[in-house]
Amino acid sequence: MELLVNGKSYEVDVDEETTLLAVLRHDLGLTGTKYGCGDGDCGACTVLIDGEAKNSCITPLDSAVGCEITTIEGLAKGGDLHPVQEAFVEHTAFQCAFCTPGFIMSTVALLSRNPQPDDRQIRAALTGNICRCGTYVRILQAAKAAAERLAQKGGE
Amino acid sequence: MTTISELHEDAALVVTGPPQWAGELELREAPGPEATLLMMDRQGGAIAFSGKVEYGQGIRSGFSLAIADELDLPLDSVRLILGDTDLVPWDRGTVGSVSTMTVGIQLRRAAATARGALVTLAAEHWAVDEASLATSEGHVFISGEPSRRVSYAELLQGKDLRLPIPEDTTTKRAEDFVFMGKDAPRTDALDRVTGQAKYSQDIVVDGMLHGKVLRAPSYGARPQQIDTAGAERVPGFVMLVRDGDFVGVVCEREDAAEQAVDAIRVRWQEEQNLPSDSDFPAALKEKAKEMIVLREEGSPAEGFAQADHVLEGSYFVPHVANVPMETSTAVASWDGGNLTVWSGDRAPFVVRDELAQALDMSQDQIRVIAPEVGGSFGTKGTVGVAQEAAVLAKAAGRPVRVAHSRSEEFMWGTVRPAALFEIRSGFNADGQIVAWEYTAYHTGDRPQRGQRGADTPYNTPNVRISVADSASPLRTGSYRSLGCAANHFAREIHIDEIAATLNMDPVELRLMNLTHPRLSRVLRQTADRFDWESRRNDSSVGIGVAIGYDAGSFVAECVEVAVRRRNLRVQRVVAGIDCGLVVNPEGVRNQMEGSIVMGMGTALREIVEFDSGRLLNPALSRYRVPRINDTPEIEIVMSGDSTTPSTGAGEPGIVPIAAAIGNAVYAATKTRIRDLPIVPRLG
Ligand code: FES
Ligand code: FES
Repeated sequence: MELLVNGKSYEVDVDEETTLLAVLRHDLGLTGTKYGCGDGDCGACTVLIDGEAKNSCITPLDSAVGCEITTIEGLAKGGDLHPVQEAFVEHTAFQCAFCTPGFIMSTVALLSRNPQPDDRQIRAALTGNICRCGTYVRILQAAKAAAERLAQKGGE
Repeated sequence: MTTISELHEDAALVVTGPPQWAGELELREAPGPEATLLMMDRQGGAIAFSGKVEYGQGIRSGFSLAIADELDLPLDSVRLILGDTDLVPWDRGTVGSVSTMTVGIQLRRAAATARGALVTLAAEHWAVDEASLATSEGHVFISGEPSRRVSYAELLQGKDLRLPIPEDTTTKRAEDFVFMGKDAPRTDALDRVTGQAKYSQDIVVDGMLHGKVLRAPSYGARPQQIDTAGAERVPGFVMLVRDGDFVGVVCEREDAAEQAVDAIRVRWQEEQNLPSDSDFPAALKEKAKEMIVLREEGSPAEGFAQADHVLEGSYFVPHVANVPMETSTAVASWDGGNLTVWSGDRAPFVVRDELAQALDMSQDQIRVIAPEVGGSFGTKGTVGVAQEAAVLAKAAGRPVRVAHSRSEEFMWGTVRPAALFEIRSGFNADGQIVAWEYTAYHTGDRPQRGQRGADTPYNTPNVRISVADSASPLRTGSYRSLGCAANHFAREIHIDEIAATLNMDPVELRLMNLTHPRLSRVLRQTADRFDWESRRNDSSVGIGVAIGYDAGSFVAECVEVAVRRRNLRVQRVVAGIDCGLVVNPEGVRNQMEGSIVMGMGTALREIVEFDSGRLLNPALSRYRVPRINDTPEIEIVMSGDSTTPSTGAGEPGIVPIAAAIGNAVYAATKTRIRDLPIVPRLG
């Protein structure tokens, strides 16, 4: 099967029910996407499928074939961090950072469909992601800062 | 993999010493054997070594900033090697906040030693007095003449220095810090936000296979009949290893290994008569072991006889799970008789020593490396997956990785002990507490866990504090602050009950009974920032307060909740901490916020449910940890002064929060919370 990940096409030879998470991590070596539960409960495995945030641990490979998949590794462009990544750095929106790729991907998806979310909308969009280190206060700040930054960029 | 001899080959200067230095803190253990703590290479860069691991507390960043400051090096010239038993000094594990401080101080002294040596070299180089020299950004220069300078790299050419840390080494004063004491992004941030940071889960070594172990459905269950034929038919199956009750499969892929182990058919013999969570708290007292009296002063009996009021209450906290986001994972690789293990553990030397014992090897045949650790909070102190990976790798003749699934982590990771508290207090009409009898039962078999934080910080003349261990079918273990948060929950709710009995303000009552100046100060400042006085008059919300102490630090927390039947929202938290000198304010805030959120989980919804030795809710959909929409506004107040030595900031924040929330719920609803979690008890 052919898979389009971070703008590159890959040929993978696995059972079609293999999860997208397993393929990304095992077959493609893209270990930035994390396993946290395998049940769709924690968001550690969040990737973008055609721009939408999805839990890759419960996404069978065949349903992602033909779609554009973006992982945390594909977010920075030409060495420049994505504004959401920058905001997470600036607000130290992590401790162990195991949840960080998932939160960043969910935030990117939110801001692409709603560039100016309010506090409630941010919380709603990120409630599927768990940060056990409890850095939510900072994640909220980072998401707001990223929205502002994107708005400025868009206005330039 | 880097070896220590490779590192030494490139080293122009090596600083040695024991890995810990107590300074003004009390050291409850030996400082550790002499080891290499810091090296400088011929390019003028520094490498520091520590047996601590990074699991989110920002230790890599904190140590790097400290070394850059003491050595006057640019930040990117400092490298830190953590948690690799072949390279770093022995360490008992990243467990107490205080031990981290003592290691940090010692690394600063090592860096100061190196800087001193560089100044000496420069003084010889120019034939001037050392006192006329200064250092900055990797150079020594003549004070007042910054253009007359020489780089560390130049000074170190052709050198091969070995320096023990002199006893009288002095470190910089706070006002001379360039990096420390400021808000700065973590030095490891870039790797974290780009997915490049490698956790144990992400370790891949050449030829690596994946192992999965057959797990019992309940604690103590033993396999009676095992039919493995199904496992062998799974595509990618490599082999099955069986040794007594241990059954593991090895496959080419992790998903195949899961399928294979699921395909094993087993008839289990389960233990009978194991208690269920509904047997608690009664089981705590029934199964209590020896009662240990921690402190007895005055005469509680006389105190009660003289008191205007006597109040009794009993309190309960259930077992709660650590739930690190990264499940326990290890990769084992053999090279002849030598074993290398990558294990996401906070105590790599303990893992090494336990492996040596379990596998009948000598310690120097085993190298344990802790990569980035995706959260710990107290669990992951066990050798479990590391040993399983080692056994399977040996059998397979190839490296093997073993990772817990989330449900395995719930079942085979460790939980915070459940605990029951019985408190009896005697107090006068003016609020003075004159007698205090405190009896606690914590499940588990390590008395120091339940004892932590059991003593009362209030100044009461007649006191008796006793703690007993009790049995649990679950695997109890460490947790953020050990039993300290549980003890504080009971005590701080009871204090609130005293205030309610007397119709006194709970802040005032606490201040009246406190003589500890730092605790009083942090409470006052926190209540002020919260605007306690005027928030009391807002009847649409409930406010609550609690205080505490842990890891050498003092804390106070005020919270505001809104309750509508079973809908409990924690809206605002103001938390004060006095942890002495604050080296990294952003780090302290981050740790405090995290502790508060974690503690909110135990307060609101977390409980490990079990029946006859089986877990009933081993999934994140059923074991409810806090999510972003539970998050309140959190403000941190720092009330320490910079002349007091730094103490822990990673644990104290969790200590008062559950009681503060419980007390706020009482203020809002007049329902007195004595048992956790709160939400199931509302409405
Ligand atoms: S790993 Fe996919 S949601 Fe948890
Ligand atoms: S930073 Fe550790 S889980 Fe979020």
